[in-house]
Amino acid sequence: MSALSIVAEGPGKYIHWGVIQISVANAIIIAVMVLLFILALVVPFPTHDDQADEGHSR
Amino acid sequence: MSRDRTPDSHDFPTRRYDLVKEFVIALVVVTVLSLGLAAIFSSPDEKAITMSGWAKADPDNLVTTAASELAGTTTSATYGAPYNSAAEGQKLGPIPLQKLGGVRVPVDSADLVLGPLSNVSGDPKLSAALAHWKAATPEQQTRWATAYTDAIGTAAADGEPAAGAGGEVGKVAASGGYGPVPALSTALLGLAKAGGLEGALTSSGNFYGGDQTRSLLLLSDGAYLEDQAVAQNLGGDQWGMMNEVGNAPGQPWMWLYTFWYQVKPFSTSDNADAEVWGLMMLLTLLLMFVPFIPGLRSIPRWIPIHRLVWRSYDRTAQRR
Amino acid sequence: MTTRASELSPDATGPSELSPDPTGDPDSWTNRLRGWFEGLVPAGQALPDRQPVYVASWIYVFGVLTLTALVVVIASGVVLSLGGATWWHVSSVGHYVNSVHLWSVELFFGFMVIHLWGNFWMAAWRGRRAMTWITGIVLFLISIGTSFTGFLSQSNFSAQWIAAEGKDGINSIGAGAFFNVLNPAQMLLWHVVLLPLSVGLLTLLHIILVRRHGVVPPLDARLEN
Repeated sequence: MSALSIVAEGPGKYIHWGVIQISVANAIIIAVMVLLFILALVVPFPTHDDQADEGHSR
Repeated sequence: MSRDRTPDSHDFPTRRYDLVKEFVIALVVVTVLSLGLAAIFSSPDEKAITMSGWAKADPDNLVTTAASELAGTTTSATYGAPYNSAAEGQKLGPIPLQKLGGVRVPVDSADLVLGPLSNVSGDPKLSAALAHWKAATPEQQTRWATAYTDAIGTAAADGEPAAGAGGEVGKVAASGGYGPVPALSTALLGLAKAGGLEGALTSSGNFYGGDQTRSLLLLSDGAYLEDQAVAQNLGGDQWGMMNEVGNAPGQPWMWLYTFWYQVKPFSTSDNADAEVWGLMMLLTLLLMFVPFIPGLRSIPRWIPIHRLVWRSYDRTAQRR
Repeated sequence: MTTRASELSPDATGPSELSPDPTGDPDSWTNRLRGWFEGLVPAGQALPDRQPVYVASWIYVFGVLTLTALVVVIASGVVLSLGGATWWHVSSVGHYVNSVHLWSVELFFGFMVIHLWGNFWMAAWRGRRAMTWITGIVLFLISIGTSFTGFLSQSNFSAQWIAAEGKDGINSIGAGAFFNVLNPAQMLLWHVVLLPLSVGLLTLLHIILVRRHGVVPPLDARLEN
């Protein structure tokens, strides 16, 4: 087993918020997904504008 | 869709785009991420509960469960399809979906106790108890087993006072019309402690035991498995279906399915499973057929997040 | 003896003799199958080296990220299957491969859901692309089933509890009669054969559909010509 098996050992950490009860691990995964989605929309995608032409693909 | 005036994508101006390079870079990134996350966070592997572990940790619960299997009062004994016909099972409105599946995995719950015990040889007291049980009428058998489970009773919990001997087998009065049930239940405890119960349930008469249905049903009829699970936040009313043991991520994509079980009316319904499944199937169909559902398919127009995606194209299109 | 390179190349006999004859027998099953095969994706669009100018956002990367995560999921699963169902309990290498399998699955689902969000907000089903959307949703569902059977195949405490808890939902709709979550041998075979095969075939169909129709144009895009 990994020496750094943070996840596999010890009791789980949970967030309780009204009816919502979620493990910290799952909450982090969902938060990272939302963050990635926002970044994907906001961060400019590198394109080679000089290569854009009016050529059609067919 | 009659209003769909989406132009052909092949008629637009193009720009160089290397799909294969993109794939290779993505493959390298995802491989490195997977290897790295695995090295840092590992994965949980908590050993399976054994019948022997159950017998040693909570012998009273195992004896009570055995007696309840004989009395026909456990979850599996009163389950219905696909294990037996003891109940109608869950319904979705008027439709008895559970029953319609049929009894295709037949399990006789009393046999979860009697089956393993009848394979034991060289124990005259057990043989006598089994013979005594088999000679009795079903009504007599149920009376014995019910008398014994009532006598064991339950510990005080959730404001309810203790019943019977408070769940402690050792405090049950020695005689009380239990017939051979105490001897049978205690014999099952002995078999479980010795480590022979799983094998007797899964591979009896079959060299290759690949089907754990009977041992899992017996295990989940007891309280030990669920107690262990609830202690790890895995209970059904703890959003447990999303969770894993320890700090491992579970199945976060199950959040919506799990959510319904936490709220009324599902959290208090006898047909919660069928209702939640029905609701999820309906929601899934809605998602699947979004392209054809007026209103739903227009949400991306009303909330124009797409402007962010296509902002550079929209800018150049305006310039033209 | 000297041989000219052209005599060894595959088209040494000349392209006209090997390439399909357009005036060939239309009743030939072979010709018909080839015609169907070639018509799946417009010529040159299976692996084009150019994309429409509006394909310029990181959101487009999540489809290929999902696909590559699936490659890692399958590769780590294949390694796990070499040692058999219980190898990972007793081998540190096996346990590490199991960890790679778990984390690549978490990445796979994360990327797939972001891909789904992106395509929802782009209304990517427009322009006769509804079947691409539907196959994507079905892929999401089958993937959930595949991961579920994987959790059931772990032969540890989690698998015991997920089986005990999960059986009620599946039994409640009558499916438990045919899909017994308490039978790990059945679950393992679904996990390593039936469901991955379905995911693989549907992924192929999904990608063919994407390449056939091309990337969906922006909402309200107009072409003057």
